[in-house]
Amino acid sequence: MAVDTEPEVGIYVYGLVPEDVEVEEDARGVGDEPGELEIVRHGDIAALVSAITLDRPLGTPDDLMRHQALLDGTAAEVPVLPLRFGAVLASREAVVDELLAPHHDEFLAALKEMEGLAEYVVKGRYVEGAVLGEVLAENPEAARLRDEIRGVPEAVARDAQIRLGEILTGAISAKYNADTHAVLDAVAPVSALSFVREPTHDLDAVHVALLVENDRREELERVVAEFSDRWEGRVRLRLLGPLAPYDFVTTSQAG
Amino acid sequence: MTVQAAQGGVAGGPSPSGLADVIDTILDKGLVIDAYVRVSLVGIELLTIDARVVVASVDTYLRFAEAVNRLDLAESSPPGLPEIVKGAKQGQIGGASKDIAGGVLDAAGDKLSDFVGKDEDDEPEESSQRSEER
Repeated sequence: MAVDTEPEVGIYVYGLVPEDVEVEEDARGVGDEPGELEIVRHGDIAALVSAITLDRPLGTPDDLMRHQALLDGTAAEVPVLPLRFGAVLASREAVVDELLAPHHDEFLAALKEMEGLAEYVVKGRYVEGAVLGEVLAENPEAARLRDEIRGVPEAVARDAQIRLGEILTGAISAKYNADTHAVLDAVAPVSALSFVREPTHDLDAVHVALLVENDRREELERVVAEFSDRWEGRVRLRLLGPLAPYDFVTTSQAG
Repeated sequence: MTVQAAQGGVAGGPSPSGLADVIDTILDKGLVIDAYVRVSLVGIELLTIDARVVVASVDTYLRFAEAVNRLDLAESSPPGLPEIVKGAKQGQIGGASKDIAGGVLDAAGDKLSDFVGKDEDDEPEESSQRSEER
């Protein structure tokens, strides 16, 4: 530990875990010269942390990937309450005195609730040509505009193009709603909680987070695989997880 | 109990997330430490990476209209659409950030196939189909 450079070192906190966890010897945290992953314990809970130098802004792709990889790796084994990216405290003592001790019971209760559960994210993205083709087939106005634009110089067709694009966007958005709800209905029996995430791409077909019991993982995979087959060529569907329960810890629990 | 770091090699890893997935997940979700800690919070500068929010715009409209145009140029049998579009899609994504995201997404898709395929014995069919990604 570089004691003499202490002012420039902070303690990055990834998340909260039960007290009885261990970390792998060579596990490293975020940062340019990543510190070893450490456990700071207090009572029945602990924080997953690593030392970090404060001489550069955080948030490179490596930092982001590392943060999530550590939390997801943890979530695969034990309950974990993930913190939002970028939480840095002044010292290990501060982690105990300000974070763990004052909120011990609340964090412990939340960790017990998360026992045996993990988050999964179902993400689907429309195959552009397939979904546009669907809309053109279903919407006469869109098909008419398409014909109107064909072969016309771009400058002349611009208004029609915008109108067509608007129709397409609206139709895709309606499909997103319908398809998201189809997935939600199908996964409801195998998930404890669900959360519909905001779309983050024009062509998003499904974007939902699910809290699932560990022993129902295979059932979830089966449901997602069914949709994947049904929508082959239309939607690229992916299942991410198990993840730390990012979408299911809320700061309002702080109470 | 053991916390295993993905870095330390949880073989095959439980985390098939690519960078785009990570950005969707960790920047605006999770417990906010300011709500719990104030005094010793260290204000480290964060690179500004906003989680992308989809806002329909004229650009989006024009992009879709152009994509429809390309579909027409390809003028093809409906069943072949996905393949054509795959090629078109590569060319049409503009902007460095989106290119990166696309690459990452593909990589993540591959990893998912591994992840699904790894799943013991059931569903060998699904996993092989999915890894082909058509």
